Amino acid sequence: MATAMTGRGFCLVRSLSGMFHSSLQALGGSSPQQLSCLHTSAALESKHWEKRNLKLYAPQLPEEPRRPAEIHHSRRQIKYSKDKMWYLAKMIQGMSIDEAISQLEFNDKKGARIMKEILLEAQEMAVNHHNVEYRSNLYVAESFSSKGRYLKRIRYHGKGMFGIMDKVYCHYFVKLVEGSPPKTEEKTSFDQAKEYVQSLKNRTIIHSL
Amino acid sequence: MNLAALVTSLRCSLLRIESRLLQAAGLDPHLAPALAVSGPSFLPQLRPQEEQEQPSALQDSIMWMAAPKKRRTIEVNRTRRRADSNLLKVKTNIEPCLECGHLKQKHVLCGVCYAKVCKETGRIRQQIQAMEGGPLRAPTVESMVLYEGETPNQQDKDKRIVERARKRPAWFSY
Repeated sequence: MATAMTGRGFCLVRSLSGMFHSSLQALGGSSPQQLSCLHTSAALESKHWEKRNLKLYAPQLPEEPRRPAEIHHSRRQIKYSKDKMWYLAKMIQGMSIDEAISQLEFNDKKGARIMKEILLEAQEMAVNHHNVEYRSNLYVAESFSSKGRYLKRIRYHGKGMFGIMDKVYCHYFVKLVEGSPPKTEEKTSFDQAKEYVQSLKNRTIIHSL
Repeated sequence: MNLAALVTSLRCSLLRIESRLLQAAGLDPHLAPALAVSGPSFLPQLRPQEEQEQPSALQDSIMWMAAPKKRRTIEVNRTRRRADSNLLKVKTNIEPCLECGHLKQKHVLCGVCYAKVCKETGRIRQQIQAMEGGPLRAPTVESMVLYEGETPNQQDKDKRIVERARKRPAWFSY
C-alpha cells in the first residue's frame, strides 16, 4: 500500500530518526570539554547509596550524645513501576520498622512483598553488621524509589503502525536509623494557611530608601 | 370622450397614490413575503451538492472527538497523582495472633495457623489415598483420625480409622 506510512506512523519514524541523529551528533561532534556532561555507563552503574554504609566516623568522646546507627539498603532493577512503588515508599516514611513490615504484609500490591523482603534484609544487616542492639529499635528515616534501566520492546498496532513499549524496572532505597521514630506534629490546613499568609506579610523591600 | 379619459387617468393616479400610501404605512400586500437584503442583488442559490461532510465519519473523527487541548504539566500531574485520595491508607486492623504470635487482620484467620492446618490435612488425605488405593473407593462409614498411642472411643467404634504416624498436634482436639 502506498499509504502504509500514515501521518502518525510518519511522525513516529521522524521522532525516532531525530533521536538517532541527535545521539550520533552527540557522539561524533562532541569535544573533550563537552564529553564531561555526557552520561557514561560508569555514571549509570555507580552505587552511591551502598557506599554510604562504608562511611566511618571518628570515635565519639564520652560526653557526646550517642550517634544513632544508620543503615542504608537498596535493591536494584526490581520488575515494578517506580510510580507504583512511590506510593508504598511514601506510606512507610517515618514509621517504625515493625509497623512498616506489618503494613506491607497486609498490602495487596506486588511491590509490598518485595519491599517487605528488603526491609527484613536491612534489619538483619543492622543487627549483624552495624552494631544495632535491638532489631525493633529502628525506624524508616528515608524511603524512596527511582527509575531503573528499562528494556524496550515493540508493541504492534493496526495498519502496520507500532509503538515502543517500555519494560519498566525500578530501584528502591531505604535508610534505617536506630531509635524510636520522631513524632511529626500534624499541621492542620488552617495552620498551613496562616503560616503562608504570615510569610507573605514578612516580606520587605531590601535596599530601599 | 375627454371625460372618460380624464376619469381613467384620475382613477390610475388615485390607485397609485393609494398604493404609495399603503407602502408608506407598511401595509402593502405586494411587499408581504419580501427579503430585506442589502448587498448582492441575486439571492443565494441552493448548491446542487451539499456541503462536503467528513468522508466516512470513522476515519477522521477530528470534528466530534474530545482531545486534550494542552499538555498537562508535571505540576498538575503531580497534584493529581499525590492527592490524598490516591495515597495508600494505613491499616488499623492488624493485631498479633493469640495462638502463634504472627500478625493477622482482625476479621481474617491467621495465615500461619491456617497454613499449618492445611499441611496436616494434606498428610491425612495422602494417608487416606494410600488406604483406599484408587478413586471412588471411599467407604460408606465415617472416618476418624488416630495418632500414635491412641485407642478409639466407644462412640467411634463404627468409624473407619485413618492412622497417622506422629503424635497428636496440640491444636487438633478430639
